[in-house]
Amino acid sequence: MKRPRSFKLLSKTTFIYLIFTFIAFYSSALFLTKEADEFIDHDLEISYGYMERRVTRQIKSGKSLEEISKRAETIKLTAAPLSGQYPVYQDTLIADEESGELLPYRSKTTVIAVDSSYYQVHILKSVDDFYSLRDDIFEALIPAFLFLALGILLFNVLVGGYLFRPFNAILTAMKNYQIGLGVKAEKISTSTTEFNRMQNLFHQMVERIELDYRHLKEYTENMAHEIQTPLAVIRNKAEILMADEKVMTHQAGNIKVIYDEGNQLSRLSDTLNLLTKIENSEFKDQQLITTRPIVEKHVAAIQELAELKSFKISTDLSDDHQLLIDPFLFDIVLKNLLRNALRYGTNEGPISINTDERHLSISNFGAPLKVPFEKLLERFYHNGNGNASLGLGLSLVKEICDKHRLVLDYQYRDGQHVISIRPGK
Amino acid sequence: MKILLVEDNSRLSDDIRQFLEEDGFIVAQAENFALAREKLDLYQYDAVIIDIGLPDGSGLDLIPLIREMESDTGILIVTARNAVEDKVAGLNRGADDYLTKPFHKAELIARVRSILRRHKSSRNNVLQFNNLQIDTAASQVYIGEKTLKLTRKEYDLLLYFMYNPNRLLTKENIAEHLWGDHIDQADNFDFVYNHIKNLRKKIVNAGGENYIHAMYGMGYKFSETS
Repeated sequence: MKRPRSFKLLSKTTFIYLIFTFIAFYSSALFLTKEADEFIDHDLEISYGYMERRVTRQIKSGKSLEEISKRAETIKLTAAPLSGQYPVYQDTLIADEESGELLPYRSKTTVIAVDSSYYQVHILKSVDDFYSLRDDIFEALIPAFLFLALGILLFNVLVGGYLFRPFNAILTAMKNYQIGLGVKAEKISTSTTEFNRMQNLFHQMVERIELDYRHLKEYTENMAHEIQTPLAVIRNKAEILMADEKVMTHQAGNIKVIYDEGNQLSRLSDTLNLLTKIENSEFKDQQLITTRPIVEKHVAAIQELAELKSFKISTDLSDDHQLLIDPFLFDIVLKNLLRNALRYGTNEGPISINTDERHLSISNFGAPLKVPFEKLLERFYHNGNGNASLGLGLSLVKEICDKHRLVLDYQYRDGQHVISIRPGK
Repeated sequence: MKILLVEDNSRLSDDIRQFLEEDGFIVAQAENFALAREKLDLYQYDAVIIDIGLPDGSGLDLIPLIREMESDTGILIVTARNAVEDKVAGLNRGADDYLTKPFHKAELIARVRSILRRHKSSRNNVLQFNNLQIDTAASQVYIGEKTLKLTRKEYDLLLYFMYNPNRLLTKENIAEHLWGDHIDQADNFDFVYNHIKNLRKKIVNAGGENYIHAMYGMGYKFSETS
């Protein structure tokens, strides 16, 4: 599964903030230049109006057209202009007489009527100052924006670390916190509301989980101690009856049932308790253990049982095989897998126990399974060969593997059931 | 031999006392931590059997008290099965052995005797039943003058019988004693039967009598007559 890319909160806010500032700056630049344009237009219009009135005055006073202001070329029209043809505005560049630099001008060509004659007037105005002002506004905004952006980025780098320090500390505290050690999660003091809320929520959750954990732990402890005591009494009473020959000659069968069922119940509650304890993660003694000596010890312990069933045991063990697991639970895994192999194996070939750098596998010969392997991992699964076994052995193994991120694999090949354990990802 | 039994369940406590008394021990009972402490202050015991879960404290805390006062007292703790921490803590504090609940009477007797034997060493390491002798210090078995060669398990089995003569030992009990939980309960029959058969054969071949008798299909009894 591909995980969507994630970004730091601060980078995200900075990015959004930058976009927002950019838009703000850009639109204010647009607004300001528009304002400037309007101002220019307005100002020019006043100048043009002044010129037009002056030309009109001069024509009325009888000045010849050549004498009229140089900056307003005036031509007499022979006929009345079409309406809407004038005025015409035009922007041009004209070289400065002294420096030869091209400067912007705006011309207005319009028609004025003086004493029923029409004159076309072409007025030229320099707009250099206006345009420089407008460009200055625009150009001043770009460095201002860049400055601000740089400032924000610097702030992000320098101050962001400081602002988020309590957040990171809280995360570390969460990560380091372990249930059931009786140590309270570290409390980080911060004046940031959000962080405080998150932290408080975390502490509340921890308290609830801690409470659940304690209840379950107490429950299993009570079960272990308190249930086993009456069971011990039952077993003892049965043993007392067994010692009584008179009773036994009549009641041996019944007493045996009481004795057997008592034993079964006791083993059942033991194993269920163990399962619950594992589920509740009460075994915390995880170590990296080299399995070879432990496997050898277990093989030695069942060697003689195997011989009684005329099984051979073959081992091929690597010194390099290691597992990160609670040693007590590893014992349970081995015991159960070996017990299963002894119980269900046939003596067509040896029970083999192999380890390499990664895998631990135990295999025994036997007919193929009639049900999927997963079924065997279910609690209280019985294959119908009597009910002396609890049907919890493989469930235990599975549970332990799950808790230690180990993968339990099953294969049937060449007439052999192969169960293997390897570290998961 | 005086034994202090610290157990809060009175019925269980009475049963255990009965077992021990049948075997010739003198038993004092204490049903809580305070009482146990008081008795330990007043009297001396050869062995103390301590249940860890007591109403007013942990039985584990009694161990250092005993060790401070009298180092020659054997200490057997009784824990719930799978209570690894209790076991380890108990042994670390100086307990000699542990027993998980529920235990077989025969197992209890064997453990207590074995502890006492270790503590009162040298004097008392020979067990005798008619002409059958076990020297527990040397792990040797004799029939009359003859040495009997047994495998480790056969020796354990015979010792278990000798600790518990005239008592019906069920197959489950024997299997548990010999193999712990390495054995699947369903397989008890064959395994135990095989060992019994071999042990009998060896004893009879060496000139001993067949002391091991099958009882009601439930187990075996070590006695002169069935």
